[in-house]
Amino acid sequence: MNAVLPLAVDESLPPELRELLNSPEGPAFELALDTMVRQREQHLFRALGQLARELHDAVRRLGGELAQEGVPGIVADARQHLQDALEMSASAAHRSLDFAERMRPQAESLACNAGAMLQRSDSGEPAAALAREAAEFAGNCRAGLADMVLAQSWQDLTGQRIKKVASFIGTVESSLLELVRLTGALAGVEAPLDVAKVTSQEDADRLLSEFGF
Amino acid sequence: MKILVVDDFSTMRRIVRNLLVELGFTNTLIQEADDGENALTALRSQPFDLVVTDWNMPNMTGIDLLRAIRAEAALKGLPVLMVTAENNRDQIIAAAQAGVNGYIVKPFTAVTLKEKLTKIFERIAASGASA
Repeated sequence: MNAVLPLAVDESLPPELRELLNSPEGPAFELALDTMVRQREQHLFRALGQLARELHDAVRRLGGELAQEGVPGIVADARQHLQDALEMSASAAHRSLDFAERMRPQAESLACNAGAMLQRSDSGEPAAALAREAAEFAGNCRAGLADMVLAQSWQDLTGQRIKKVASFIGTVESSLLELVRLTGALAGVEAPLDVAKVTSQEDADRLLSEFGF
Repeated sequence: MKILVVDDFSTMRRIVRNLLVELGFTNTLIQEADDGENALTALRSQPFDLVVTDWNMPNMTGIDLLRAIRAEAALKGLPVLMVTAENNRDQIIAAAQAGVNGYIVKPFTAVTLKEKLTKIFERIAASGASA
């Protein structure tokens, strides 16, 4: 049996090809066919590799831009930036809640004192008018503070989205590396042994350059 | 009365706590848990009258917490109010089938919270009276 004949001359091949492969020029024909298929594959893998490199660079640039704003880090830190945003927004929301919790007892106490004063004074007295006004103000304050407390739920709603995006970035990152590994392997470049252990940005860059991207 | 507020976001736990106080639950002990697992531990260690829980949390989600509560003899009668950003039909149906007592979609208002809580406590009072 001819060793250069990995293509089985099976029923699925068009009859013209089967005939050629079975002819005396068969091995030479198959070699040419094989080279052609390889060339076409190489084009595809190069294109995929290029795409992976461009995507990777785009993510790197994003990291670089953030770094220029005074925040250190590169691609792998994109998730950290999101985490920071999450924590900053939580801390801002907590400050607003602190304020509401500090003010509520004051509003309650004002309402209480105004109520007591109203009972002690004749309704025509200026003190009574002031007490009524104070009671109304205290009531509005309490309602406003409750609304403000509720409005802080934006942090929870945006925070959940941030968490989802952070997890999505992680998925994109690992898919990207897998793509690079696959295209590299298919294009005939031997994959490094520690491919599965890519964890840092340095590892990712090294891996990409090893495949010539 | 004792209420357990379960949410992985500390801001949200605080908001619910504030609203409960605002709605008049002043003589109420409000405890917090940051996921279903910790909530379950708290529920097993002391009696509560109500659980207000988020859906989307790490370790154990709100729906799994609800199912765990309904599956445990000592806890199965506990009222559970779900407060969540998850608002698709299937999830609401799943919560209903798991035996939720109320479902509030975030963002919500104090009025909605009051309505649902009133309904829950009315039902408890009614079932207590008929028993």
